[in-house]
Amino acid sequence: MSWVTIVWSATASACLTLAAIHFLVWSYRRTAWADLLFGLTSVAVAIYAVLELAMMRAETPEQFATALRWIHVPTWVIVVSLVGFVRLHLRAGRAWLAWSICALRTLALMLNFLVGQNLNYREVTALRHIPFLGESVSTGVGVSNPWMLVGQLSLLLFFVFTVDAAFTVWRRGDRRRALVTGGSIVFFVLTGIAQSVLVLWQIVDWPLTESFFYLGIVLAMGYEVSREALRAARLSDDLHESEARMTLASEAAGFGVWIWTIATNRVWGSEQWRRLLGFATDATVSLEEVLERIHPDDREKVRSEVRRAGETGADFTGEYRVMLPDGAVRWIAAQGRGYADPHGKPARTLGAVIDVTGRKESERQIEQQREQLVHLGRVMNLSELSGSLAHEMNQPLAIILTNAQAAQRLLAQQPPDLAEARDILADIVSEDERAGEVIKRLRGLLKSGETQLLPLSANDLVQDVLRITRSDLLERGIRVHVALDSSVPPVVGDRIQLQQVLLNLTLNAGEAMAANPPSDRHLTLATVHCDGTVRISVSDTGCGLPPDAERVFEPFHTTKKEGLGLGLSICRSIARAHNARLWAEPTVAAGIPSAAATTSCGATFHLDLPAAAEGKP
Amino acid sequence: MSATGGTVFLLDDEPGMLKALNRLLKAEGFTVRAFTSARAFVESYRQEVPSCLVLDVEMPELNGLELQQRLTSTENPLPVIFLTGRGDVPMSVNAMKAGAIDFLTKPVKDVDLLQAVRFALQRSAERHVVNSQVDSLRQRYSSLTPRECEVMALVVAGRLNKQIAAALGIVEHTVKVHRGRIMEKMSVNSLAELVRAAERLGRGNR
Repeated sequence: MSWVTIVWSATASACLTLAAIHFLVWSYRRTAWADLLFGLTSVAVAIYAVLELAMMRAETPEQFATALRWIHVPTWVIVVSLVGFVRLHLRAGRAWLAWSICALRTLALMLNFLVGQNLNYREVTALRHIPFLGESVSTGVGVSNPWMLVGQLSLLLFFVFTVDAAFTVWRRGDRRRALVTGGSIVFFVLTGIAQSVLVLWQIVDWPLTESFFYLGIVLAMGYEVSREALRAARLSDDLHESEARMTLASEAAGFGVWIWTIATNRVWGSEQWRRLLGFATDATVSLEEVLERIHPDDREKVRSEVRRAGETGADFTGEYRVMLPDGAVRWIAAQGRGYADPHGKPARTLGAVIDVTGRKESERQIEQQREQLVHLGRVMNLSELSGSLAHEMNQPLAIILTNAQAAQRLLAQQPPDLAEARDILADIVSEDERAGEVIKRLRGLLKSGETQLLPLSANDLVQDVLRITRSDLLERGIRVHVALDSSVPPVVGDRIQLQQVLLNLTLNAGEAMAANPPSDRHLTLATVHCDGTVRISVSDTGCGLPPDAERVFEPFHTTKKEGLGLGLSICRSIARAHNARLWAEPTVAAGIPSAAATTSCGATFHLDLPAAAEGKP
Repeated sequence: MSATGGTVFLLDDEPGMLKALNRLLKAEGFTVRAFTSARAFVESYRQEVPSCLVLDVEMPELNGLELQQRLTSTENPLPVIFLTGRGDVPMSVNAMKAGAIDFLTKPVKDVDLLQAVRFALQRSAERHVVNSQVDSLRQRYSSLTPRECEVMALVVAGRLNKQIAAALGIVEHTVKVHRGRIMEKMSVNSLAELVRAAERLGRGNR
């Protein structure tokens, strides 16, 4: 076997091997276009090498011409693939040049098959045998084809294109890549052009050995593409390490981590995550199975949050309950984010969860204690009011009794006055309902229940409280002024608790004026709307506030003989729970427009509640 | 004293209560004038005989006890019955001291209320009789000359004619003539009657 056969066959098989590897890579990762183009180039170079060998071994001019004609097919593939490689892998090179090269090369391929025996020779007239690597090889002798210039022009353009691309990459700062890939392509293309010009225009006697130059390009490309693979491998190692670190950190912090891949609907979860949600270590889990673990009351909210995050790439946070297979309920705080694939399509949602059952439990206990304290305050208010409330109940009962006795007499008459008796019965019914109303209001205030936030009218609250305290205020000889702003928007709150605040303020006002002369006992209740805040004010003309008005809100601050001094501090806590502000100032400063602010200074309490958001009922 | 009438003034700020009391009293044949405010009552009040006032103590604006004081300080006081929803002791003592007929607590039994109303009306009628007698006595007394008044005062004081004559510096016969005129003008037949009339006048003038 000759050296020529060995070297050219080895070149072809090396290229084919490289092509096979990179085709395989591409078949796993369809987005790895560099691998596909590299594979195509390698195959084309292998074919090119085989055809070159055929030319060297040609025995007739026709055989030589045919091999040279077909060699332009792999050339086309090589040029187009390299242009693609530069554009896609190096992300450089001018588009118009790329298209011009492809167009010229395609034109050259067509001319190759249409004009003369091939692109290079109009006619190969004879073969000449020259010594090469210690043996005799064939080269063609004949009439050169001028159209050959088209092909060589395309190569020249390719040279310019690659130089320009290499400069772009260099300027971008990626000098290694510019030198190795760009530089080697430039070098081998330049030498290839030089050789083909010299050989094919029959200036020197030398066989066509272009495949060597192409092999050089393939090796440079192979180096570049393999570096990518190496980097991927290193990344994967790094990833493993960072995952291990991450797992360690999350386990130490008690975090569970999970990833939902949308395409496969699989949920991957860390050990801690599986423990928190009660999944076995090796169980495969779908999103539906995860959602089934979530408390039915929270499930739909979590489902829509996770989906929204996955679809829009938004963040989500939330606290929800999970129900474990053994029936235990756990509070989980979750946080996550959706991620898209490189094409912007939603791909996966990542999240972290932590067990907050303990915190939730203590929050619940604190809230329960607060509610108990608030209730206690209410019961204390009512015991202060018990005398006047009894009177309030007594009134309808007295009316009912008198009416019933009148009816007895009317019915005993001859003839009985039935029409009047009927009216009496109607009145009895309505008075009975009135008594029922009083009991209902009372029961509402005595009830201890969970805070219920509903839209309310501030004006109704004021009227409710006046109804409860009417009798008490009358007995105290207090003149009541009411200034309600009919345009106040609704507020959101717990009716009973807000009533309690106003009740407390009203009772305090009444007591503050006990020492005043009867003509100077004025209570003003007002509502006003200003910049999204609804203000309810209770002002008196009583003994006023201490120099530091805030002190009245401190627990156990009291001026009453039998008070605990908790009323206003409870009111403050109610206000805080409503995002409202409760504060006090002297009545004169508050500018209450009533007969009020005359001689004594008095106190005015303001409850500033945020108005309910627009559009809500 | 069944459906014999008399006027009952009702004053209560609670319309329901006012209506119920009105019905009860009307069923018993009384004439009822009902008011929800003290001002309305004072403005339209005209004396009627016999009449009484049933008054709610817990009224805004005008205190029930104040009104009672105003009504009892006139020459012909209107008997007042108090109704209260609360009825504390000090208030009832004050009311009784100020001459209230009764002090009743709501809810009130019909028999108690009616008994009190009847008693009040009776008191009103009696007072009226007494007052009209005093009025006519006063009229007669005013027809006496100044000298006759002087003589009458001494007669009633138990002086003898001789003593009166000496005291006034006139003859005894003139005293006798004056006495006869006085008995005639005062339309009394005996000295005892004259003394009683003088007593009543005296009380009325006090």
